Amino acid sequence: MKNLKDYLGLWGVLSVALLLICIISWSDGFSLFGIALKPAPIAERLTREPERSDVGASVALKQIAVCPVEKKMTSDTASHRILIFGDSMLEGLNRRLGAYATENGHTLNSVIWYSSTTKTWAECDTLRHFLRRFKPTYVFVSLGGNELFIRGIIESRDRYVKKILKDLGDIPYVWIGPPNWKEDTGINELIASNVPAGRFFVSNGMKFDRQKDGAHPTYESAAVWFDSIARWMPLHADHPIRMRRPSSSAPGRPATVMALKPPTD
Amino acid sequence: MEMSNIFHNICEVLRFEADNPMIFSSGLFWVLFIIFIPVYALLKKRLWQMVAFVVAFSLYFYYKSSGGFFLLLIGTSLIDWLLSKLVVMVEKRWVRRLCVFASIANSLGILCYFKYANFFMWNWNMMVEGNFQPLDIILPVGISFYTFQSISYIVDVYKGVVSPTRTWLEYLFFLSFFPALVAGPIVRADYFLPQIRENRHATTDEMFGGLWLIILGIIKKAIIADYIAQYNDLIFESPTGYSGLESLMGLIGYVMQIYCDFSGYSDMAIGIAMIMGFRLMKNFDFPYKSRNLSEFWRRWHISLSTWLRDYVYIPLGGNRKGTLRTYVNNFLTMLVGGLWHGAAWKFVFWGAMHGVGLAVHKACQPMLRRLPDIWIVRALSWGLTMVYVSLLFVFFRAASWEDSWLIVENIFTNFSLEYVVPFFTARKVWAVMMVVIIGSHCLPSRVYDRLENWFIKAPWAVKLLVFVVVVQLVIEFMTENVAPFIYFQF
Repeated sequence: MKNLKDYLGLWGVLSVALLLICIISWSDGFSLFGIALKPAPIAERLTREPERSDVGASVALKQIAVCPVEKKMTSDTASHRILIFGDSMLEGLNRRLGAYATENGHTLNSVIWYSSTTKTWAECDTLRHFLRRFKPTYVFVSLGGNELFIRGIIESRDRYVKKILKDLGDIPYVWIGPPNWKEDTGINELIASNVPAGRFFVSNGMKFDRQKDGAHPTYESAAVWFDSIARWMPLHADHPIRMRRPSSSAPGRPATVMALKPPTD
Repeated sequence: MEMSNIFHNICEVLRFEADNPMIFSSGLFWVLFIIFIPVYALLKKRLWQMVAFVVAFSLYFYYKSSGGFFLLLIGTSLIDWLLSKLVVMVEKRWVRRLCVFASIANSLGILCYFKYANFFMWNWNMMVEGNFQPLDIILPVGISFYTFQSISYIVDVYKGVVSPTRTWLEYLFFLSFFPALVAGPIVRADYFLPQIRENRHATTDEMFGGLWLIILGIIKKAIIADYIAQYNDLIFESPTGYSGLESLMGLIGYVMQIYCDFSGYSDMAIGIAMIMGFRLMKNFDFPYKSRNLSEFWRRWHISLSTWLRDYVYIPLGGNRKGTLRTYVNNFLTMLVGGLWHGAAWKFVFWGAMHGVGLAVHKACQPMLRRLPDIWIVRALSWGLTMVYVSLLFVFFRAASWEDSWLIVENIFTNFSLEYVVPFFTARKVWAVMMVVIIGSHCLPSRVYDRLENWFIKAPWAVKLLVFVVVVQLVIEFMTENVAPFIYFQF
């Protein structure tokens, strides 16, 4: 009898704890002594729409405005040597692109240059070095996140964007626009003026869950970000490649990840 | 809110999800455990009903982690049990040996296929320069653990250490016991089987002591290990992208992460079993307090090291066949231990180097015994052991041989103290967690005993508060990302 009573006590502790966690999960923001408590994802998990799979980011209308015509091109089904280069936004994109590469038989090499800008890449031969080294057949560029608030950017940095595109030459590419957290001073416009619509994925206007710094998307959100790019490619990209969605949400790993320290200038 | 949505989502959650196995720190497990407890308590007095219920729950638990592979577990247990019956029924020694061989071959054959087939084929391919396509094999969760349990059972039955269970259900209970099923501790038949028949009720102290262990396990696994892993992963994913100091911090972080992750999960398993009235062996005993490699292996993954001692090292001859043979046996045992951790040369190397370390320690023991037991000697012994263990963890964790050397090289050739301040400024929470883990190793074990006693005797409202606070901390930290780089700008 005593044993049953003990089990009842234990059961009570666990059940009341679960009840409290559920209440916080269903409540509309719960704070204790001024500290906002994060809700457990119970309510979100149980009430989500069955078909919905994307959480954290959504494709904005603005993106569709850039590419109004669905081209319905046939994807290039070859296995590619993909190079992705850019700033620290690659931390998040890398993991999901790595999973896509594995799923679709591509080889992924990644070069992250922390704090880099179009100017950084254009003023040195780092990009050409990695193009020679990895011999990519497809390139993703993720640059612009460090140039959101530069005044007069269109005049001052146009040559840098042109230089990067010149370095890329004939290699098919997609430029992934920066995930704005505030309106920019023209970087998206600058890229759009140089890069054809079928090669520019506009991330501005998408909704992201951000890390504590308020800028970088969380890893989960970055994964959804890349899922959006992969969905966009067969419909809008000039040169779509095979991008079948991985069955698992587990992060992938590029064949090579080169991480470069921030430029000193 | 649509009820049909909720119903649909509940069904989805209860179904097998390949990339989302049910572990003790998941919310779903706790919901199911809350349902499990009252039913278990009511059935506890009726042995066979209790056994059947726990087996059903364990199989569901395994299904949630490994899908259809729960059928493999059932099949393995049936073959083992039938062969164990045969072992005690027949008198001819060669037939008995044949049964043991068949059972071990069956268990190891399945393990080798799922875990090592691609590894062996890849190596063969390298030798013959063939065009090898990896087989599409999914590794069933926990197969390495229950395979060792199954081997120990048949060997113990053959040796007469244990009698075969009267029913297959009883053996399936032993093999599939859910607290220890997917990540140990490796349960030994001679220790566990009598407990099933005994069907002892958990005392009040055991029940709430079990809850205390679960809470400690959650803190170690779901709060500390999962959080610090984010930074450590960055270092191991980009070995050349960070300074020597950052790489060193990543390595120390990983050393602490693997301990918290594994020992935390073991604590939860032992705690859950305690609540059910079963005792599982202690799996970790402050391994980072060790002052030599032999002591480390007496404190680290104890259920594996004792299993390897009893079923590999001693059958090989142990220390009974001369000094040189003792070293060789030690080395071979650790080689098996390394390969058990994973199908890759890096694990073989890791095991081999531990084997070498153990042999060197054994060889030096006569000299070491003559050293005075003073603090400087103790500190040096501890430091040497920790450096050796930590450096070998680089090879255990890194994705490739090349990455391992890059990290080691980076630590020794690219180390600069100018990163200290920005590093700890950018990673305050990470640093605090590291201090907590290291500090927890410095506390004497009586502090933990007192805390446990305090918790057991505390009013239920206090227990509830402690549990809720810990669960909320898990929720707070599970969406936190460690800053990807020590610089605030990107």
